[in-house]
This record gives sequence, C-alpha cells and structure tokens, in this order.
Amino acid sequence: MALLSADTRRDLEIHRYPLIVYLLVPLMSLVLQAWLPRVLGRYAWFDLPLVVTIYFALGRRSPIQGTLMGAALGIFEDALSHHAIGVNGIAKSCVGYLAASVGVRIDVENFTIRLLLNFLLSLLSSTIFLFVYRVLLGVELEWNWLVQLYIAIGNSVIALVLFPVLDRFQMHD
Amino acid sequence: MDSFFVRYRNLLVLLAILLVQIVGLAVQVRRVNTGRYSLDPNDGPGVRLIRLWADALVSPPERGIHDTRLGIAYLWTNYFDLRNVRRQNRDLQQTIDRLRLEQASLLEDARQGQRLQALLGFREKYIYATLPAQVIGSSGNVQSHLFTIDKGEDSGLKPDMAVITGDGIVGKVRDVFPHSAQVLAINDQTSGAGAILETTRIRGILRGNADGQLMVVGVERDERIQPGEKVLTAGGDLIFPRGLPVGVVDKVVRDPDHDALVEVMVKPAAHLDRLDEVLVITSMQPRFSSQEQKDIDTSQSDAESIEEQLKASEIKAERLPGLDDSSAPAGQNPANPAAAGPPAPTLLPTLHPDRFSPAAAPAPGSSPAPTAPNTNSPPKTGAHPAQPGSPSGPGRNQ
Repeated sequence: MALLSADTRRDLEIHRYPLIVYLLVPLMSLVLQAWLPRVLGRYAWFDLPLVVTIYFALGRRSPIQGTLMGAALGIFEDALSHHAIGVNGIAKSCVGYLAASVGVRIDVENFTIRLLLNFLLSLLSSTIFLFVYRVLLGVELEWNWLVQLYIAIGNSVIALVLFPVLDRFQMHD
Repeated sequence: MDSFFVRYRNLLVLLAILLVQIVGLAVQVRRVNTGRYSLDPNDGPGVRLIRLWADALVSPPERGIHDTRLGIAYLWTNYFDLRNVRRQNRDLQQTIDRLRLEQASLLEDARQGQRLQALLGFREKYIYATLPAQVIGSSGNVQSHLFTIDKGEDSGLKPDMAVITGDGIVGKVRDVFPHSAQVLAINDQTSGAGAILETTRIRGILRGNADGQLMVVGVERDERIQPGEKVLTAGGDLIFPRGLPVGVVDKVVRDPDHDALVEVMVKPAAHLDRLDEVLVITSMQPRFSSQEQKDIDTSQSDAESIEEQLKASEIKAERLPGLDDSSAPAGQNPANPAAAGPPAPTLLPTLHPDRFSPAAAPAPGSSPAPTAPNTNSPPKTGAHPAQPGSPSGPGRNQ
C-alpha cells in the first residue's frame, strides 16, 4: 500500500453514497443550522454546511464536486441570512476545493487529521468570508475572532461525531 | 489546448464559479452618501428569487420540526405536567382580578389621553393591529441576526413592519415570502432604530455589535447615564412606534472611533436569543371605537365653533372705531389700556374705616354716607378701588 501512487490511492478510496444521502444530508445541515440556534441561543458555535462540505469533498476527492457543493451550500446559507448572496458561497467553494485537493494526498481516515483539517478549514472559511466582505465589497463589518475560533472548535468536534455516522452510508462494491 | 483544459479543469471550474459569484456580489453593493459601500437593502429580482428558493427549501422542514416540538410540549403540558395546576389556577385568578381593576383605570386614562391627543392634532402613532407569529428558524449565522416567522404575504405582512413581543421590540420585517418572512433582529449590526433614554432623554441609534449585543451609539459622553436606566424607542425611524421598551442600560463604554462619544450597552427587554412568539405590528393608524369617535367629533365641532366665535369677535372689534378714540389724550384711551400709564396701586382693605376712607368717600352731589361700624370687607365699588387721582377714579368718570 505504501508503494501506491497518489492516483492509485485516489482510485481506490473514492467514497460513494446513495443519491438520497447527497440530497438529504446537505438539506438537513441547512435546516439544522437554521433551527438549532433557536434552541442553543448565542452558543450555536458551529457551521454544519461547512462540515458537510468538507466531509463530501474529502470523501469524494473531487475538487470540482467539492467546489460545487461548497458553492451551493454557501449560497443557500447566504440566502437564509441577510448577507449578500455569494459571500459564504465563495468561502465554501474555496474550502470544498482545498479539502478535495488535500484529500487526494493524505489519509483522511485518521481522526486527528480530520480534527485538524476541520479546524483549519473552518478558520480559512472565516478568513475568506471576512476578506470578501471587507476587501472585495468594501463593506464595514464588525468581527470577533474569538467566536470564529469557537466555531472552528465546534466544527471539529461535530466532525468527529458526524464523519463516522456518514461513513456508514458509504456504498461498498 | 485540450490538454490545458483537461489538466487544469479543477482550477478552471473553481475560478469560473468564483468569478460568477463575484460578479453577483458586485451588483448587490452600492455606494452610500458617506463614500463607503453598503449592501443594497432592496434585493434585486434575481437575489430575491434565490432567497425565495432557499426559504421554500428550508422553511417546510423547519416548520415541521417546530410543530413537532410544539406538539410534544403540548402533550407534556396537558397530560403530564399537571402538578400544582390548582394552585397556579388560584394564583392566576387572583392576578386576573387585580389586572381587571388596573385595566379599568388604565383604559379610562388611555381613552382620555387619546381624545386629548386627537384634539391637539398630534400625529402620535399607536399600535392598533398586530399579528401573532411563530418563530420557526434563524439564519444560522453568527454574523446575521435574522430569524424566520411562519407568517408571510398571505397574512398581509410587508417589509419594514415592526416586530415586538410583550416585553419589548424585537426587529423589523426584512423579506416577505408567500408563507413566511425574515425578520432582522435589533441586535444585528446592520440594524438601526431610534432610541431614547427614559430619564435623561438622551437620544441615539440602536444597533447590535459583532457579538450580537445591543447598544445605543452616537451618544455624547454624559455622566447622568447610569446602568438600569430604561431605553425606549424614539419613534423617529418610521418603523417602531414611540415609547416601546427596548431594554435597560447595562454599562457605558467609550466609543473606540470617537473620543467624545460613548456606546451605551443595553440589556434587551425581549429575549432575542430565545424567541418563540412575536407580534408583527400591521397597522399604526388610529382606530377609535364609535363612541370615542363620536366624542372626538363632538369635541372638535365645539372647538371649531368656539374658534369661529373668537374670530367673529375679533373682526367686530376691528370694525368698531368708537372703542378706539384716537383723539383722546394719552393715557385716557379705554380701548388701549396699555397706553394708560402705570396701573394704580392696590389699596389694602381698611381695618377701621372712617369718612376719609376711599370706600366711604361720598359721590359728588350726594349726602355723606354714615360710617359702617366694624366693616372689614373690601369696599363694594371694586376689588381694587382707585385713588382719586387715578384714571378710573371718581373724578375722571364725568
């Protein structure tokens, strides 16, 4: 296994899921992301659509699919908020692309790597979000990095629980 | 050439998607008067369509989850959590009795106030129609304090309607969809409402900060602002009626951008993080009952007739030249008392009147009157008897 090239590993370890999982899991992530803050109040420090984007991008190992899923989920998140349509879309497109690109090269089954990847990609998503708002759009936006840090930690913890659950829906040949 | 697209297709797809979104963003931003950029609060047709799709996708499951939660809560409340119900019922009955008494007195005051304000022509805005709505979801984004309610266009909602609870104001309607609507909470940093501190009457702009804390900005430094002071709506924003509770002052911090200004942190009266039911103010036009309207009409007609009488008397006074004798010497024109010199000094009532007292002075040509014994009352010729040398004295009335 150690002698396999990157392409061979990619061919071997692409995860496949039923279509219903591709449809329902992103939808549920959007619904829960919109509903759970009502229960948890200001302590809703997570971004479920981002976690789902990272999961499918890492599993599918396809940058195009990761980009498209990130863009779709981000745009829907923007539509549910009062932000301009595309701010989250750009951030999650980049994250989906990067996660899939990283997934080709490293072993993403490792829990520590999953934890670390979710943490770093969450912070990257926040940074791109802020960059788009302040630099590309030139719109003033107050920002609290501490909350973004909490969100990154929350995403990592959720990923630890959610990834094994979603792994159960994989289709095996 | 083909190999270039095949080799870099992943990157090209990413760039194409980013480019499309950046172009989409560019049309949603506009330059404001201050020279900076701001998001256009009025969504274009394309943006509104995307928001409509997202709402249509997410709202039904949210509504389902919300209804399920309500159903479980109803089941629990009505079948399992019946302990202490009798005691609660007794307490509530006592509260109702007390509130009825309070309501009777308040109603009378309110009616009187409304009549008076209508008479004075105030344009004070009152809440006359509200629509209850359930909160079924939120934006799910810490940077966006937006929530979704289960009422929309079909219930008559429109953008910019104020949303309140019994405790205080909550936000305003932003986007209205067929069966739901998005409400921008007052603690969002793009929100804005006029606020006034109840005691010090200091005004400012109410908005949220990055942490979702409510604050009043644009306030000059003032030591009178103390924690615990109530904050009310100022009413100048054409959204919230004046005088609705916003919260209480939590603390005062220095404005990092302006040395002369402070930021008044406000503890919101409404539980903005845990909203279940809200009221949308659908009408602020005055609507009086038939009896109240009749009273107002009667009072208005009375006021108008009094005003007409006053005008008529003024016109008559202008047309009566005899009252204003221009040939009379200065100080003797009865129509112009201001020109009659200084007023006569007022004499104190005489304790022991005699024949020299002004009230006992005999009129010319008449027999001297006998002195009334022990007369402490003021003379009947007037409360302020004039001296002989005064313009209104007996010697002048020839």
